[in-house]
Amino acid sequence: MTRAMRTTLAILVALVLLAAFGAFYVLEEGEQAVILQFGRPVGAPATEAGLHFKVPFIQEVRRFDKRLLIWDGAPNQIPTAGREFIWVDTTARWRIVDPLKFLKSVATESGAQSRLGDIIDSMVRDHVAANPLGELVRSSAWEPPKGEALEEVAEEVLAELKKEIRLGREGISQAILSAVQKVTPEYGIEVIDVRIKRLNYVESVREKVYVRMISERKRIAARFRSEGEGRSAEILGNMEKELREIRSGAYRKVQEIRGKGDATATRVYGGAYGRDPEFYAFSRTLESLKESQNKNSVLVLTTDSDYYRYLKEANPSRLKTRR
Amino acid sequence: MPNGRWPNDLEMVIERLRRQFLDLNPGGLRLFLTGLVILILLWSSWYTVPPEATAVVQRFGRVMRTAGPGLHFKIPFGVERVRVVPTARVLKEEFGFRALAAGQRGQREREDLSNESLMLTGDLNVIDVRWIVQYRVEDPVRFLFKLRDQRQTLRDIAEAAMRRVVGNRLGSDVLTVGRVAVASEVKEDMQKTLSAYETGIRLVTVELQDVTPPDPVKPAFNEVNEARQDLERMVNQAQEQANKVIPKASGEAKQVIAEAEGYATERVNQAQGEAARFLAVLSEYQRVPEVTRRRLYLEAASKVLSEAKGVYIVDSEQRALVPWLSLDSGGIPPPLKEEKKLLKEEKKP
Repeated sequence: MTRAMRTTLAILVALVLLAAFGAFYVLEEGEQAVILQFGRPVGAPATEAGLHFKVPFIQEVRRFDKRLLIWDGAPNQIPTAGREFIWVDTTARWRIVDPLKFLKSVATESGAQSRLGDIIDSMVRDHVAANPLGELVRSSAWEPPKGEALEEVAEEVLAELKKEIRLGREGISQAILSAVQKVTPEYGIEVIDVRIKRLNYVESVREKVYVRMISERKRIAARFRSEGEGRSAEILGNMEKELREIRSGAYRKVQEIRGKGDATATRVYGGAYGRDPEFYAFSRTLESLKESQNKNSVLVLTTDSDYYRYLKEANPSRLKTRR
Repeated sequence: MPNGRWPNDLEMVIERLRRQFLDLNPGGLRLFLTGLVILILLWSSWYTVPPEATAVVQRFGRVMRTAGPGLHFKIPFGVERVRVVPTARVLKEEFGFRALAAGQRGQREREDLSNESLMLTGDLNVIDVRWIVQYRVEDPVRFLFKLRDQRQTLRDIAEAAMRRVVGNRLGSDVLTVGRVAVASEVKEDMQKTLSAYETGIRLVTVELQDVTPPDPVKPAFNEVNEARQDLERMVNQAQEQANKVIPKASGEAKQVIAEAEGYATERVNQAQGEAARFLAVLSEYQRVPEVTRRRLYLEAASKVLSEAKGVYIVDSEQRALVPWLSLDSGGIPPPLKEEKKLLKEEKKP
């Protein structure tokens, strides 16, 4: 092998290698590519991952992401249908479904992001402004709360809570999404979802809401306190009632029992003393005379009394006649 | 392999190598070089996967297979590439706060994340919710190739789901009894979305951390709690009083009833006793009524007279006694004071 021959061989090998390098390209999983020939797209876009071929030197590969991408807009200050100003922060998921159209219409991802921003922002504005705040916050599955849950809810909020939700947050998101989806296919973009990520009162409104919340709480606290007083009074009242029931019931029973006892006693007395009422009167009188206090009494008796009659005379016959 | 370009250099290198390895003939050199190449091939054709991870092997970009922990082989020279995804590790996202790195004690950064944690409740009030989401990469292929910005996607979905669920409840509910339900509803909602997007993410748990009213409103909320406690206290106090008074009263009622029963029994017994006594006396009296009657009378009279302060015995014919004597048992008119003394003296002996 001469030196010249060896050199030519080496140059040939190098050329073949270069050609080979330019003639295939690797497409990563999650990527898709458009082949440009002198700047003009040719053929169908490559979407399958793996080793692909192209004509070296004259064809150029433009890669695009095939994966789910995020669009994240800046928060917007938007008034609702009820004139409350709120911050709305939306986010969307999208992907490039038609790389050819994508390349022609927006060229790059950042171009797509800003185009999406224009479209989604205006749709969000339209829909937020057309709906009251309640619709934006609650879902269509909203059920007006009942029972115990309402214990801490102020009254003027109740009416608002009872309102039926027509669309709800999902409904509005869905409406925004379908409006956006009408426009985006022409950019080769499919928007998968648009979500209201954050929604908040603007600073000035928030202050007012706080004031409202505070006064609401205070009222609830006052209600609890007065309810406590009421329930305490009720318990004490019931207590009083029960007390009176117990006491009067006892009094009644006492009187009944005593009456029965008295009655029995009376019957017994009557049965006994009825045998000789005169003797009863006599002996009872003597008893009571003996029992009564006589210490300070001064008695004036005539000699006619049975006790002293013998003081006057001792003739029993006369006494007999007197009787 | 640009050796074709510098053949002279290559010859020089080979020449030098041959000199360095002294007497190696061309055959021996070839053997040595082949060995070296094989070694390099082997060296770049194996990889290890840590225990908590799964490897995804791509050949020219296309996913060929996944491999679990351990030692594995691949085609070298960039034909097959390996990406390692920690599939067994539980990853965590924090919302509304950022925990400091482990080891530093539980203090949370005072960074203002109120935008992340403040949200509206169903009654259009503001609430501060902080929560965490724990997840695992279940399907590393989907995780890597179905979406970009996996972490941000998860965060967006989590925030949207949390706000939707909280927006559908009353603030008081989220603050108290609804916590668990909120967390599980958010988890369910998020998982549905994550699966629909083929993210390959499996949620482990969604947990609410601090759920509080916004700072300016907190004192008012505390006041409500206090009022609620006051309510309970007042009710308890009243109940306590009732519990104290009622049993006492019913005990007292039983007492007076028992006393009444005692009284009744006493009355009946007295009556029966007295009746028996009377009847006994009566039966004796009826035998000799005249004498007994007189005896009883005289006995009683003697007792009464013995106790009396004074006794005036007046003859039945005497009529003029009344004007002299005050019939008041104690009050004798003043002019008669001496007489009173006399009367006393008369009584004493």
